[in-house]
Amino acid sequence: MIKTQGLTKKYGSTLAVDQLTFEVQPGIVTGFLGPNGAGKSTTMRMVLGLDNPTEGTVTVNGKSYRDLAAPMQEVGALLEASAVHGGRSAWYHLLWQAQAAGIPKHRVDDVLEMLGLSEVAGKKVGGFSLGMHQRLGIASALLGDPPVLLFDEPVNGLDPEGIRWVRALFKRFADEGRTIFVSSHLMSEMEQTADHVLVIGRGKLIADMPVAEITQRSAQSHVKVLSPAADQLAPLLVAAGADVSTGARNELMVTGIDATVIGETAASNGIVLHELSPRRASLEAAFMELTQDAVEYRADGNAPNLTDIQETARELTSERSA
Amino acid sequence: MTVTSAQSRPLGGARQPGFGSVLASEWTKLRSVRSTWIIIVLTITLSIGFSALIALVQGVTFDDWGPQEQAVFDPLINSTSGLLFGLILLIVLGVISVTSEYSSGTIRTTFIATPKRLRVLAAKTLIVGLLGIIIAAIIMPAMIFVSQMIFGAYGMETVSAGDEGVMRLILSFIFAGGLIYTLIPLAIGFILRGAASAITLSIGLFFLPWMLAPLLPNWVQENIIRFLPDLAMDSLGGIIAADSAMYLSQTPAIVTILAWLVGSVAVAAFLLKRRDA
Repeated sequence: MIKTQGLTKKYGSTLAVDQLTFEVQPGIVTGFLGPNGAGKSTTMRMVLGLDNPTEGTVTVNGKSYRDLAAPMQEVGALLEASAVHGGRSAWYHLLWQAQAAGIPKHRVDDVLEMLGLSEVAGKKVGGFSLGMHQRLGIASALLGDPPVLLFDEPVNGLDPEGIRWVRALFKRFADEGRTIFVSSHLMSEMEQTADHVLVIGRGKLIADMPVAEITQRSAQSHVKVLSPAADQLAPLLVAAGADVSTGARNELMVTGIDATVIGETAASNGIVLHELSPRRASLEAAFMELTQDAVEYRADGNAPNLTDIQETARELTSERSA
Repeated sequence: MTVTSAQSRPLGGARQPGFGSVLASEWTKLRSVRSTWIIIVLTITLSIGFSALIALVQGVTFDDWGPQEQAVFDPLINSTSGLLFGLILLIVLGVISVTSEYSSGTIRTTFIATPKRLRVLAAKTLIVGLLGIIIAAIIMPAMIFVSQMIFGAYGMETVSAGDEGVMRLILSFIFAGGLIYTLIPLAIGFILRGAASAITLSIGLFFLPWMLAPLLPNWVQENIIRFLPDLAMDSLGGIIAADSAMYLSQTPAIVTILAWLVGSVAVAAFLLKRRDA
């Protein structure tokens, strides 16, 4: 588990990370979402004891990273995949880390094999492609087989197959009870990878909730119903606890009850349905809506201000279309 | 190339890392890049090669020298002409053992593996310092031996290991030279974190005083110049005459050298602990 309390980082007069308080739980994949420059990497560097917080604390499994007895066996991290010495082979790049971390040498060959890098183990990493660098970085993180894993933009440069593999790996690790903390500036990526998201913009925490909850809470998540007897059905559904709005001719948009209940209600009243389709809001749409709410509800001094949230939402969506 | 399915097996044999782990890791880092070996080979060959070349030129032209020049010819000092190249390369070795980590970004990986940063500094200091002593122990006797052979072949005056001053020069350059020319640059590398600036500052620190000293008043020579690391080493090795204003006797010279080593590494340690990686 990763826990921060009032975590703040100032570079001169620039506030890179502003009073972040959150917990990253084991057993799920937690996404760390924000536009480039929002403070994600700075936060991760502080988790790993590389940068000193200006204020606040951060602990991993209850301890400050620098106090961990065998850090790489407790926390695995991928920060910048390009941070390798180009003149050193992949095998030696992992060997020196294993030696420093008290990890046996055979594990180097294991992680190279896991990442499909065995054939290039003896090659200098300077000649590696972006995707190979990324895989080598993931190999480093997995060296100590740690219960806590941090990945900063892990899918950058991976091919679609590699991306699928990494997502499956995260899921499997989470299922094993590990803590998985993955940053991305791509909302669409988080939607497919994460169970829970932390959204930051300009160093401030904007949202901290399960992905499912964000999309469910969205008014845009609804069940679309087409029926020639829509007028008859609507009051029945309202009686069953739904909010119903009418769309085009014969169309109902239903929230508050799920498709099963709608179908059964229709059947027991002998009403014909032409379409019954649950529509889930995309994380992106849900997030836009959420930030609209945040603008209304968080009008106090500590909360992110209107400009920050709108800016973050705009940048996150423009990243996607770019 | 495809990504195979992940199989993580229990991590048998893992243990809590200690200082020995960091030492092993730092040695692996140094030996696994070709530049280290190129610098070592160049240090040895250029020092010995240039000393031999200059000795040969002196031998060939010796008969043309005036009688006074021939009389003051010192076969010991003149057998170390190529040392300059070796010392510059030792500086480079010390600096890039640190700055290559900052330029490539591996310094962060290093501190993720070993968050106790002073262990990293201590391991690098130990390994690079030892390497400096070993390299100096190869080039000092070799340069002198080869040059004496050449001087002898041309009928010039020679010295042997038992002669006065010979072992003093060799030993002080092996230990004081091997350490200050690698470790002060290593510390400067941690302080400045860039190869170009660290090499420039180191070369300035070691070689500039030699060029400037003759232009400076006695007071500066006595109170500043002779306490600089290279000058203290030259006093220790007997290269600076005992009647010179820049001379330091043995004990103060040794203390001065140790103070420079401890001081520069201490500044590096202080900044390393305080700064963001």
